[in-house]
Amino acid sequence: MATSQRDAGPDDAGGGPGSRLSILVVRSGGLAGISQQWQVEPDADAEDWIAMVQACPWGSVGRDDAARDRFTWRIEARMPPRLRTASVPESELVGPWRALVERVQEVGARG
Amino acid sequence: MFTGIVPPYLLARLAQSEAPELHDAAMAAQKTLRHDEPRRARLTFSLDADHRLVAELSDAPNRTISDGHGTEALPGTPVRREGDPAVKDAAVNEAYDGLGATFALYSEVYARNSIDGKGLPLDGTVHYGTGYDNAFWNGERMVFGDGDGQVFGRFTSSFTVIGHELTHGVTQYAAGLIYKDQPGALNESISDVFGSLVEQYAKKQTVTTASWLIGEGLFTKKVKGVALRSMKAPGTAYDDPQLGKDPQPADFAHYVQTADDDGGVHINSGIPNRAFYLVAHRLGGHAWERAGRIWYDTLLSGLKPTTGFAAFGAATAAAAAARYGGSSAEVAAVRAGWSGVGVAIDGDVAA
Ligand SMILES: [Zn+2]
Repeated sequence: MATSQRDAGPDDAGGGPGSRLSILVVRSGGLAGISQQWQVEPDADAEDWIAMVQACPWGSVGRDDAARDRFTWRIEARMPPRLRTASVPESELVGPWRALVERVQEVGARG
Repeated sequence: MFTGIVPPYLLARLAQSEAPELHDAAMAAQKTLRHDEPRRARLTFSLDADHRLVAELSDAPNRTISDGHGTEALPGTPVRREGDPAVKDAAVNEAYDGLGATFALYSEVYARNSIDGKGLPLDGTVHYGTGYDNAFWNGERMVFGDGDGQVFGRFTSSFTVIGHELTHGVTQYAAGLIYKDQPGALNESISDVFGSLVEQYAKKQTVTTASWLIGEGLFTKKVKGVALRSMKAPGTAYDDPQLGKDPQPADFAHYVQTADDDGGVHINSGIPNRAFYLVAHRLGGHAWERAGRIWYDTLLSGLKPTTGFAAFGAATAAAAAARYGGSSAEVAAVRAGWSGVGVAIDGDVAA
């Protein structure tokens, strides 16, 4: 699974909507191949969200090469000036990943 | 005539029998027992014209359906094993019957004994997770969710879905196509092709009476849609305010570039799906007989894990030529099929 962790380039930093903390979760794949996504842009409890994001092992996402038709979770955490992204196979969506995704689904806007 | 699964103790007694009228049956039983690994076989007895007992051996499935009880722990609790009578739980019986129908297509039409060709047990788990909107193959077993009840119902309710999942196992053993981009879309398409053929074979449908739908009836009545995918008309299976429109392309000019879904494997499978439909439609009759045979031969032809659409198309043409002759109607149909979805093979010009 592709995983990247990088410092934000010019497109990621600066003013506009990109300057706020935002977390995007995209579920793709599955037998049906129907994608769904959820997003949060928290302000009040930003500290809690940042802690949840930082608890995730962004740099070491496991793979699942044998699975077919399972979901893939793309998770993007924008904490200006930094953008973290990870593609997490369903079987690896445990612990802090699962906690983060379930929280975003719970309070986030569905797209 | 009696057909059934013969327990090992009975096979052992039959094998030792010296009664002349049981000679054939004894030989068949000995043959079964000679296999090193435990192997299920169906022993069929009948009387020939001279009233001699005739015994015939054929492969039989070895199914175990487990209940996940709404958790994500695998495998769950076994609730119906091979030969057990039906239980009260519809999902269990649907999985059992669907795996049986899939085994039958591979065994009776293509002489393949289960997923690996060597009688691999068929293991399925139903009631996986809570409101889980999916079915999958995890490399070892088939797993089915109950659906959320709002958009999706039970994922065991269509033979095409069960055939699709089991075929992922067949492809894993036969070709190892990687699960990304074009080879991934081919992997998906092969599962749709044989998933559809499981249903067509079970219902004895022709190319014109078959629905060519994958997952018909999985959506609840609230959804504006008939199925997950249409092989005949990709992109037309659903168009719903909440789900959006079926995103499958029907030809190569509309191939979807995306990073999600492993490069759109469940989206771009529409292209080879329709190529198969076009081949089958042109040949007519039962799709599993010639079009399905060509695709099955191709699957076993030594495909590279990175095979793309054009190379796969060329391999189907080569498989058709090997089985039916270079100037056969089958080769012409295969070439027309790929041309019809805009995939050029072997210097053919795509339409
Ligand atoms: Zn699949």
